[in-house]
Amino acid sequence: MVREYLLYIKVGTESLRLAQAYVTPCFSVDQSFWQEREGCQLHVIGRSPSLVLAFSLRELVNAQLERRHAASKPLNEEGLAELRELAISRVRETSALYGREMAGRQPLQGQWFQWKQEDVSVALSRCNGSIENAEKGMGSLLEGRGLLWEEIETLMMKRAVACPDMTPILQRMVLAEKAEWRPGVRLLVKKSWWKHRLDLVCDRCGSQHENIELTVCHTCGQGCAYCTVCLGMGRSKCCTPYVLVPSRSPYAKGDGGAMRSQLCWTGSYSKDQAVAAEQARRYVANPRPGSREFLIWAVCGAGKTELLFPSVSECLAASGRVLIATPRKDVVLELAPRVQRVFPHASVIAIHGSSQQKWEDADITIATTHQVMRYYHRFPLVVLDEADAFPYHNNPMLYRAVSRAVQPGGKLLYLSATPPRYLQKRLVAKRRGGFKLDVGRSLPLLSSSTHVLLPGRYHGTALPVPKAVTIAGLHKRLKSNRPIAPLLELVRDSLQSERQLFLFVPRIDDVDKVLAYLTKFFPSDASLFAGVHAADSLREGKVVAFREKRYRVMVTTTILERGVTIARSDVAVIGAEVAVFDEASLVQIAGRVGRSVDDPAGTVLFLQADRSAAVRAAIGQIRRMNQLAEKLRSREEVQA
Amino acid sequence: MSRSICVACAGRIVLQSREASVRRLTNQLSSNRTRYPAMYRLISGLSLCASCLEKLPVIGAAICWQCGREQETEELCQDCHKLTEETLQSNRSLLRYNQWGKDLLSMYKYRGEERLAVLYAKLLAIAVLRYHQVTSFDCIAPVPLHDQRLQERGFNQVDLLAGRLGAEMGVPVRALLHRTKRTAKLSQQTGRSAREESMDGAFSWAGERLGQAKAGSYRILLLDDIYTTGSTLRSCARTIREHAGSLCDIYSVTIYR
Ligand SMILES: [Zn+2]
Ligand SMILES: [Zn+2]
Ligand SMILES: [Zn+2]
Ligand SMILES: [Zn+2]
Repeated sequence: MVREYLLYIKVGTESLRLAQAYVTPCFSVDQSFWQEREGCQLHVIGRSPSLVLAFSLRELVNAQLERRHAASKPLNEEGLAELRELAISRVRETSALYGREMAGRQPLQGQWFQWKQEDVSVALSRCNGSIENAEKGMGSLLEGRGLLWEEIETLMMKRAVACPDMTPILQRMVLAEKAEWRPGVRLLVKKSWWKHRLDLVCDRCGSQHENIELTVCHTCGQGCAYCTVCLGMGRSKCCTPYVLVPSRSPYAKGDGGAMRSQLCWTGSYSKDQAVAAEQARRYVANPRPGSREFLIWAVCGAGKTELLFPSVSECLAASGRVLIATPRKDVVLELAPRVQRVFPHASVIAIHGSSQQKWEDADITIATTHQVMRYYHRFPLVVLDEADAFPYHNNPMLYRAVSRAVQPGGKLLYLSATPPRYLQKRLVAKRRGGFKLDVGRSLPLLSSSTHVLLPGRYHGTALPVPKAVTIAGLHKRLKSNRPIAPLLELVRDSLQSERQLFLFVPRIDDVDKVLAYLTKFFPSDASLFAGVHAADSLREGKVVAFREKRYRVMVTTTILERGVTIARSDVAVIGAEVAVFDEASLVQIAGRVGRSVDDPAGTVLFLQADRSAAVRAAIGQIRRMNQLAEKLRSREEVQA
Repeated sequence: MSRSICVACAGRIVLQSREASVRRLTNQLSSNRTRYPAMYRLISGLSLCASCLEKLPVIGAAICWQCGREQETEELCQDCHKLTEETLQSNRSLLRYNQWGKDLLSMYKYRGEERLAVLYAKLLAIAVLRYHQVTSFDCIAPVPLHDQRLQERGFNQVDLLAGRLGAEMGVPVRALLHRTKRTAKLSQQTGRSAREESMDGAFSWAGERLGQAKAGSYRILLLDDIYTTGSTLRSCARTIREHAGSLCDIYSVTIYR
């Protein structure tokens, strides 16, 4: 069964009303809807099996209507004929452009796009019909979500909601402006003086150009395209309706808020932590619209997660739900029980690709960033953890997803040890004048209305400053088993003094190379060495063994740059000049060392074949943080 | 997809580092000197990086000569022993169906990453070149999808492959069959015989006339993505035989076995 979409124009009886175009899969629903509300004229333009075509014509017609309105020309028979003509020529254009891009392939129905012009006008006078309530259940089910049609079906199935045909219900919601629906991938004709072309954009993830693939589609039988970027979350196509239902009302009413927001945490903050947590809470509590974003910049080992508790509690108390988004599934799994423990009266769910709770609702949702794509204007507070980590870094799609999950007027809280430059620029004010440093950068301010900076660790000891050593022909030495003195020294020391060592390498194949190298120089300790990388199926087991000290030296790619913390450990990067190690990644790696109170010091060694700007910047950043922490401490001493 | 990105792992393809793997695989797959250049061209044209090429679970030299399953010796396997009245001359597949293959195939078939058709068609071409005289087929017939499933999925994964493979081999593609039964997913069927039964009469003749064979019998190459129990392909072969008579020889090729 192929759906058909009808394009019509509604003209209100009051002459001031602007005429507007609508797309509907069930015209009768629209007719009865308008009849219940107002007297009006509906003029049908035409119909097509292509959702994307109907929508692109709607845009075109609406733009034209607005132009007429601006010139205060009324919409008469002549005007309608003109619009129908315009639609037909646009269909022809689109078909031709699509055919050009699909050179060599044949459409299923003889034409890439089918369009049936219709010359029907209906006059509706107002009547007081009863407005159906069927949409209520559907509305609350979909509230705050942005889903593809198939996903709605899944959601209803998981929640055991029976609904034989959701099309009319959804259409009523659209007309009442409680929901919006669009094609998953939208198509526009971009005109320029040298060449007209198709402009395709995935409405779900924002991808475009070479990431959208044109296809011969058997679902709609029309010219179609799908997005290759968000494929893992279901196929967003030109013919898949993408339904967005913003959540408007506060989520829970009554006095449940006080209960749910009850924080049961027995830990305690350091003085700096307390200040930072309070800053963030105040930002969340501030009812003034305006600043939508806030950054908690806390160095590795500052105890970031605990800083969130007051903010989360604040939001829950105001009857809001909270989303904590993080790039990695293991963080989601680790965070959920921890958060549940401190908020025992709130419901907490963990959402990731294979999560059973994917379609449930809760007070606190902890999700991987990809899953956040399925939310729309849902949360008054969204926390983005590790805002610098891999999937966000240079990925506008995930940023888009996260900021779309925030309710209008809601708050977005970034949490990072190494915030990317553009976030720093946007949210962190620079101290004017004063404290110029050797690197020529001034120190950032400790706090402002948009950020708070925690330069020191929980236990108050300075961050270990990495030592950079340039070794000519580093990689050749490694290959030919020639000694690299600083590396061998570090390994020997580590083995002798019962410490553990992370050795970071740039590429997967380097893992085995370095393991072979170490075995050559420390043959009797070979059983204490292990290596992991992203594609390693034994990865989890090896990390556990390393935690249990069965392995003493772990050779790894950047996958272990975050998360895994081991007391009494040192770190070395072999080939720190390679591009995979950028400033943020090197700071994170250095942050592995000295996190526990019993052993706050440790060695961080960057071995590079050439001098690298990233290495210098990372060391500069760590020094600046130490300096700032030092200043903070001396100020406190003076005050005391 | 850019030529320099691996379609399986999205890693970068470095041509030099891949060369050794390409040669090794070509040697393994081309039975003689004359096939080497064509095989080399196909393999080096795969958009896979060195490590994914190394990972390709290519079926070894000893196989069941009926169904193409990898085994110790070159004779009929246990399952094929039980078959009587076989209309399918033989099946050949290129790859073992391991986890890597499973993930990649589901990306193509269920997630709908149609761009993988380019890779899969090349892999099929490699299988055909490895086991057959490429020019000896009169047509390629893809295993059809039920209309309703086709409408849901939006594309027929086997059709896409057939089009590309046909172009690559210079052999016409014919839609000889219709799928009349909407069979349950493989995972929802229990046991071999149930599968065999459910496939019985699942296809009908699409009424396409076969052309005149050049010499002797008309050779048809049935195409599917995976040979699991073989019941789908056997059912297809029986339907073709019923309508096209005994003058046709029916072979099949699949990506996975
Ligand atoms: Zn997309
Ligand atoms: Zn379509
Ligand atoms: Zn690869
Ligand atoms: Zn066999």
